[in-house]
Amino acid sequence: MKDSCSSVSKLLEKYFDHEVTEKERSLVEDHILDCETCQDGLSLMGRLREAIKNPIREAEEEESFPWVWEKIERGIRLQEKPNYWESFRSWVSISPLFKKKVWVPAMAAIAILILVTAPLLFKKTTSYSSPSVVEYVESQTYNVMVYESEKGKVTVIWLFEGPEKESPPS
Amino acid sequence: MNSEEMDLISRCKQGDQDAFKEIFNQYQKKVYRIAYGVVRQREDALDIVQEVFIKLFRSIKNFKGKSNFYTYLYRMVMNTAIDHIRRSRYKIQTSSIDEDGGFQLSEEAVKRPDHILIHKELEERVRIAMEKLPPDQRAALIFREVEGLSYQEIAETMECSVGTVMSRLHYGRKRIQEFLKNYGKLEGGE
Repeated sequence: MKDSCSSVSKLLEKYFDHEVTEKERSLVEDHILDCETCQDGLSLMGRLREAIKNPIREAEEEESFPWVWEKIERGIRLQEKPNYWESFRSWVSISPLFKKKVWVPAMAAIAILILVTAPLLFKKTTSYSSPSVVEYVESQTYNVMVYESEKGKVTVIWLFEGPEKESPPS
Repeated sequence: MNSEEMDLISRCKQGDQDAFKEIFNQYQKKVYRIAYGVVRQREDALDIVQEVFIKLFRSIKNFKGKSNFYTYLYRMVMNTAIDHIRRSRYKIQTSSIDEDGGFQLSEEAVKRPDHILIHKELEERVRIAMEKLPPDQRAALIFREVEGLSYQEIAETMECSVGTVMSRLHYGRKRIQEFLKNYGKLEGGE
């Protein structure tokens, strides 16, 4: 390696990539004329470049692309169909009502209304099945009637006065 | 960017598919080369080509024309290709790499040590070495060695400084050379 190698080797890669100034180019070219080390360095980078580039070029030459376009076209068409959410969003964005801020309190009011009414609407109402009379006892003073629902959970005992005797027609 | 390309892009922004097909015809091979350079698998590279052009159709309205169109497109290709590798947890098909990371010549190569085979073996080694590089170094090398972009163009594409590009190229090349150090054919020529 020559003494000037260290300074030129910094430029070697730039020279190889055609990124040097005119002055730098002549400096490198003067040097590499009789420097085998730098010549080898350049040659090595050249072989690397070919080894990177060639398989890619070969793969490209073997490829035909018309069917690729067909698939891309299909992909574009699929993406052009908006889904329901996008349709809703686009409707919201074009609706003049929703462009104004009035919908904010309106939506808040609806939400509160739903929150308030939901427990009432979904409250489990106890349905009593039609009771059936289990026992009926008549006496002179009181009548007793015992009701019981079909499921047997509710029992009602009804105590009431006996009906007044009708007075005979005069 | 020339006026013809600007016109094509402007038509694409309005949803003109014929104009978009023109763009596809102009750039399909370049996009394929970059994609193939990164993934080195035909099917994967073609998947990336499709994905990139569909993305491009959708996003071309965001292209403001402040940079060159090809740098915008190349950036999209490189990002998509790198994402593709990450997504598919790309496995290097290294049946020919031994436990120490060394390269084992195939039986056929040992029997036929001709020039073509030597070239092929070298290319295969470089491919493996490239796959070991960080994505930024690999991208810089593909832009430079395959597409022949200048340092400035690579910097625009990768959104970094020229100095960073030079550094990525330098360390990328150095790491490949180190990987190939034991491979005498590279050092000594053919």
